[in-house]
Amino acid sequence: MAVKAFSNEWAKAFKDEVNKSSVYKTAGKGWKWTVGLVVEAEPANHFPEAKGIVMDLFDGEARDIKVGAASDAQKCDFVITAPYTRWKEVATNQLDATKGMLQGKLKLKGDLPTIVRYTKASQEMTLCTTRIPVEWPDEK
Amino acid sequence: MARRKVKAKQGGAPGGSRGEAAPKLDVDSRAEVLYADDEPSAFASMLGGLIEANVRSNAGKERDFDSLKARVGIWVTDIDEGVTLDFKGGHLVVHNGLKPRRKLTIRTDADTVMSLSNLKIGLFGLPVYYDEVGRGVAFKLLQGKLKIEGLLPNITTLNTVTRIFSVQ
Repeated sequence: MAVKAFSNEWAKAFKDEVNKSSVYKTAGKGWKWTVGLVVEAEPANHFPEAKGIVMDLFDGEARDIKVGAASDAQKCDFVITAPYTRWKEVATNQLDATKGMLQGKLKLKGDLPTIVRYTKASQEMTLCTTRIPVEWPDEK
Repeated sequence: MARRKVKAKQGGAPGGSRGEAAPKLDVDSRAEVLYADDEPSAFASMLGGLIEANVRSNAGKERDFDSLKARVGIWVTDIDEGVTLDFKGGHLVVHNGLKPRRKLTIRTDADTVMSLSNLKIGLFGLPVYYDEVGRGVAFKLLQGKLKIEGLLPNITTLNTVTRIFSVQ
């Protein structure tokens, strides 16, 4: 059943997908930092307020994924920011997150060598988002 | 014009050369990584930032950085963007796009660029091509999905750039 985009249900489904992934379990070994995703508002697309997704990832496991204020996500060790439409492109496999970062479509804040070292883990996390059936507010 | 410091050090600003305007530096710093364009592309900022962080955190990479003088182009085929890394023996000027007089030019896709920066460095400072990441890079080279122009006469330069670029 589809869940509302960037809702608590979505966060739970995302966490479950990450923890089901053996690829992530291996590729994320050694990771010990929080990751915040900031989804910028796009009122024209029925996404009126920015949201923050705070991911507590540790050693190949998603310990917690929460949806809250953008300001919470901005406090994380690594922060990736993009407007709603870009995140939708990522979650629907239309935009590769690595390419998106190289093109500046997704803005990354945090220690670059660390994130590059975990490219495979971040790619797998992106794939996990694509496996969640989502109800998009601009498609209602 | 250019902007950005990286590491506060004594010394003067590197001048421009080859008819290009001199990149400007932040006050009181000798930049290690400079950007030739007013608005560096995201890719340029990312590569410059990556090299900056690597050089800052590793004395061996800093030695390589201080000794390297070469212009290296990187073109990412699937995003149609590239940069020129102009290593000038202790500082680097990052240009948006490919500039002339490059010793080496690497043309490949975004994933392989990431793999190149994940190559492990082994004995004698040589990149490791026998582990999973290394084999993937070597396979791309054999398939023609990774092209390195100027490789044969500049293999030492390539190894030095790889060491500076590698996060491993």
